[in-house]
Amino acid sequence: MTKISGKITAAVIVSLLAMQQSANAQQYELLESSNQPLSIKICATCHGSYGHGNPVVGGPSLAGLEPWYIKKQLQNFRSQYRGTQVDYLPGFEMRASVETLSDEEIESLLVSIQSWEARKPVATISGDSSHGSELYASCAACHGASGEGNELLGAPGLVGRDDWYMLRQLKIFKSGYRGSHPDDSGGAQMRVGMQALQSDQDMNDVLAYIGTLE
Amino acid sequence: MKKLVTRRELLTLIAATGTSSAVLGASAAIGLIPDTQVSIPQIPPIDAANRPIVAILGAGISGLTAAYELKKAGYECVILEAAPKAGGRVKTLRSGDIIDEVGNPQLVEFDDEPHMYFNAGAARIPSSHRNILHYCKELGVELEVFINENKETWYQDDAMLGGKRVKNIQFTTSARGFMAEILAKNFDRHALDQPLSEYEAEALLGAMRSFGDLSEGDLYKGSFRAGYRSGGFIDHGVQRDIIALSELLKSRFMRSALNANEGDTGPILFQAVGGMDKIVDGFVRQLEDKIYYNVIVSSVQLAADKVSITYENGGSKYLLEADYCFNCIPTHLMAGIDNNFPPEYIKAMSYPSRGTAYKSAFQTKTRFWEKEDIYGGISWTNQPMRQIWYPTHGMHKEKGVILSAYNYADPLYFTRLSQEDRLESVIRQGEKLHADYRQQVEKGVTVAWHRMNHMLGCSARWGRGFGGMTQEAEAMYRTLQQPAGGRHYAIGDQVSMHSAWQESAVLSAHWAINHMVERQAGAGDLPGQKL
Ligand SMILES: Cc1cc2nc3c(=O)[nH]c(=O)nc-3n(C[C@H](O)[C@H](O)[C@H](O)COP(=O)(O)OP(=O)(O)OC[C@H]3O[C@@H](n4cnc5c(N)ncnc54)[C@H](O)[C@@H]3O)c2cc1C
Ligand code: HEC
Ligand code: HEC
Repeated sequence: MTKISGKITAAVIVSLLAMQQSANAQQYELLESSNQPLSIKICATCHGSYGHGNPVVGGPSLAGLEPWYIKKQLQNFRSQYRGTQVDYLPGFEMRASVETLSDEEIESLLVSIQSWEARKPVATISGDSSHGSELYASCAACHGASGEGNELLGAPGLVGRDDWYMLRQLKIFKSGYRGSHPDDSGGAQMRVGMQALQSDQDMNDVLAYIGTLE
Repeated sequence: MKKLVTRRELLTLIAATGTSSAVLGASAAIGLIPDTQVSIPQIPPIDAANRPIVAILGAGISGLTAAYELKKAGYECVILEAAPKAGGRVKTLRSGDIIDEVGNPQLVEFDDEPHMYFNAGAARIPSSHRNILHYCKELGVELEVFINENKETWYQDDAMLGGKRVKNIQFTTSARGFMAEILAKNFDRHALDQPLSEYEAEALLGAMRSFGDLSEGDLYKGSFRAGYRSGGFIDHGVQRDIIALSELLKSRFMRSALNANEGDTGPILFQAVGGMDKIVDGFVRQLEDKIYYNVIVSSVQLAADKVSITYENGGSKYLLEADYCFNCIPTHLMAGIDNNFPPEYIKAMSYPSRGTAYKSAFQTKTRFWEKEDIYGGISWTNQPMRQIWYPTHGMHKEKGVILSAYNYADPLYFTRLSQEDRLESVIRQGEKLHADYRQQVEKGVTVAWHRMNHMLGCSARWGRGFGGMTQEAEAMYRTLQQPAGGRHYAIGDQVSMHSAWQESAVLSAHWAINHMVERQAGAGDLPGQKL
């Protein structure tokens, strides 16, 4: 068995895959002339077509997410800040999928993801948004008054994000599955931010409020 | 008086005491395993000047079946397949193949010889799977026997005999012997709610004695049925050791050794000569110019008069408009593909959970199992690797490819590990079955279906309770089975009550075609059911 490591480029894998396909030489040409990295197709398997998310597999929507934040999170997964716990399958699967990405591959992925158009997510969580708005006051310090995010603080925008995904993240920040790695300073900040949320109900309420932000 | 036990109660009883494989085994014994009829759809001829276009999403066995039948009837079929090869979970690995696991692609480096292959997905066909067998015949796919149960293989259980391996035949002969002894000694013909006659009692006792090969006084003192330790041909044979009842009872294999491998997984099954994907090749030969590879479906939109499919190839987008759509893309992936399906259909699509399955294989330097009288069959262990399958193809040649792990109970055990750790872990476990395993095996491959690109799982798992599908699951299943917008059919073993078989995939395609044909005839638009 040869493990095709990150050092072998996506292009090599493409041509290996193409070698395998029996009949259609024409498809081969097309595939090779593509300037998209192969791995972008892999992302869509879990994150849905055009990065619109797949709640069943658990991959959140990526379309519209800030490139700096995507880059940071890909690095976080690669550095084992996220997704190391075997009993948290979504994070674990994501980490295993991108562990071998090189810096160059990440850069070219960011370009491809830019071409995906953001789409308004469907609300799946109901909560008391007026209570949520009170709770959100403490989040605003980092994520901005209207959830626009703050690159300097490393806090992503929260508008247009899948509520089911955010709920899961709040839970894993709370339980320490995310943000506990000693070198994960962004995660550590967010864990501080979590102190404002005492219960599952608080989480639902604040997410209901975030859903009203434009 | 005691109430007679009904069949359903009997099953529940067994289920309460054992594993689900006990239930499966028992169901087969009393005839509850599904019975399939050959159900090739009769499709009325269509107007050649006005051929309906059918888009088939995914070249899994169900998609291929649908395309094959519809093409024969004159429909214009287009198959869109994301992978560079057809077949989906019917996957045979040979020298030079790529295993497209997300984040862990592997190159298969087995020797390039006809018998050096590994069926990483579907591997066996029971004789009752009449429809897939029908296609094998029709498409000229040569079949051979697959030995599923072989008494010369091994059982190994850390809890029994200090973890020492024992021959299946030794284990089962001892187990039968002691069970027969206990039954015979405690037999009382008046204990039943209707006493047996003396003649009947004698017949039953005779059967028990013979079942266990009991000695005088209804004692089990070992049996030559367990094989000879030495001699037997020119010299007197020496019996193999008895495995003490107290040891047998330490092993969970007591629950399966005597009843496993019935029905769908009976002792003798079939496989395609040269690899299971010869079945796929058979379909592809008939559909060569209809299949497009490396195209990824990214959107399915229903309209009153058509289905619009967007797909991607080489960074470009294409649009295909069809009259009908047959879709075997796994529903958990379809949930992430843009669509305008009705909300209840999306809910049904999102309902089943991603099935799990893990297989791995090694090339071996010698066919060491043949020196242990093993030709085909499966050894069992309670370690996470669970099974070793020994190939019959390539008998007496120098090398072979063995299945080194097959776990569907806790398959994420290996999936979670790195490639190196997966292989090392399997070798360490295998050494308990074959002491020189580490020296024998090379060029390992792992197939973690949960992480295979464009699949991310094995067969869809619908909610199950004791008597089968839960009511909620069945309602979802029925919703998914109906065509969305009247034109989009979900197919695949995922739309069956008996997933993880090619037969189920084939039958789902037949069901959908028959339904479409009936609707075209107008019947499907009327309320109620056609009688
Ligand atoms: C480990 C294992 C062991 C098995 N053992 C047996 C056995 O012994 N006997 C037996 O009969 N059956 C067995 N099965 C089950 C059998 O393999 C399946 O039931 C059958 O192959 C399923 O066929 P399907 O038509 O449902 O499609 P699948 O095989 O699920 O195919 C789906 C297809 O859709 C494609 N696809 C996915 N996304 C897209 C997209 N966006 N665009 C286009 N195409 C896409 C995939 O690439 C794939 O080709 C086993 C399966 C596994 C995994
Ligand atoms: C096997 C499925 C899978 C694949 C393949 C995959 N992802 Fe993920 N990804 C996930 C899941 C699940 C999560 C959510 C993890 C969690 O809940 O903590 C995730 C999370 C992420 C996040 C974090 C989002 C956030 O808001 O913090 C980014 C960024 C991301 N993925 C990018 C990618 C890219 C880029 C690719 C392709 C190279 C990719 N993923 C491939 C499943 C996958
Ligand atoms: C002290 C600053 C700070 C505060 C206060 C804060 N956050 Fe965060 N938040 C962050 C940072 C930084 C991240 C990114 C963490 C990382 O890099 O992994 C983050 C991440 C998140 C994420 C995950 C987004 C994703 O795509 O994975 C959510 C959801 C979130 N915050 C919600 C909230 C909510 C709700 C509150 C208020 C209750 C809050 N945050 C308060 C700094 C903060």
